[in-house]
Amino acid sequence: MSEERETRLLMIAPTSNVTPDQLSRTIHAMGERISVKETCYGCLIEGPRDLVRKVRDAARELDPNGIFSKIRAYPLGDPRRCRAHHGTRPGFSQLEMEWNALTNISAGLDASDRGEKVVEPEPKKQLPVTEFKKICEVNQ
Amino acid sequence: MKVFIDPPNSLILFDLIERFGHEPLSTMAALQERVDNIEIDMPPMNVTLDDVIKGLKYAGIEVPSGIRGRLAVWGPLIEEADAAVVMEGAPFSFGCVGCERSNLMVKYLLQRRNIPVLYVTYPEDEEQGKLVVAKVKEFLQGLDKKEAN
Repeated sequence: MSEERETRLLMIAPTSNVTPDQLSRTIHAMGERISVKETCYGCLIEGPRDLVRKVRDAARELDPNGIFSKIRAYPLGDPRRCRAHHGTRPGFSQLEMEWNALTNISAGLDASDRGEKVVEPEPKKQLPVTEFKKICEVNQ
Repeated sequence: MKVFIDPPNSLILFDLIERFGHEPLSTMAALQERVDNIEIDMPPMNVTLDDVIKGLKYAGIEVPSGIRGRLAVWGPLIEEADAAVVMEGAPFSFGCVGCERSNLMVKYLLQRRNIPVLYVTYPEDEEQGKLVVAKVKEFLQGLDKKEAN
């Protein structure tokens, strides 16, 4: 098992029925030797790499297409980042943006599971002047 | 396969690439190395002399230091990558895409590497979300087939 540290951020999509509390309690209940910190968007987990990945997969079973994850460079509760120590959180605006877009990605994953075929819409073209003139004439 | 993501700290792209069985190359992993092994104040805000030298490989001396700093982290990742997924048209605060010059440099470096690159548009609604997921899935499955051959 890889002993290298991995800190992972688990984020719940806005459409999911899972709450951060439920998520962190589920992870605690697994009884694995990792640290968990509940946050407003989901939770942070930290421990040896393989164990963290195992826990991520198990936690995802709560809502496979509604829980997203990525790794984090700074360890959990690092005074340079942790708000409890008045740390800065420069990545938060981005997390906020991605949280909004997760609804759409979640819908995309559901569609992919259902085997739905997605057709790319025609790219929008510029309106030709002649057509624009016609529209103007009709409205006069 | 190792897939570079742009924006390099995107949760959506990182998650999708991992979900479909590939290894995403992200800023977070590169910075974790600096956080754990090098005693500098607050990466990526603070850099080492080595970072400055590395950055010079990807951007000239006349290029603003912010771009060079970004490329010092992203450049080695692009060199390591077997493929890349780029998200375009993202809002200003989405990841570190606020610097358009860096974004252009990243696209240029990817083109120069001559690796498969997928360009997707930031999903504004569910239909676009479905399209992004379908495109990424198809692209990554294509990589699997390429690897198998």
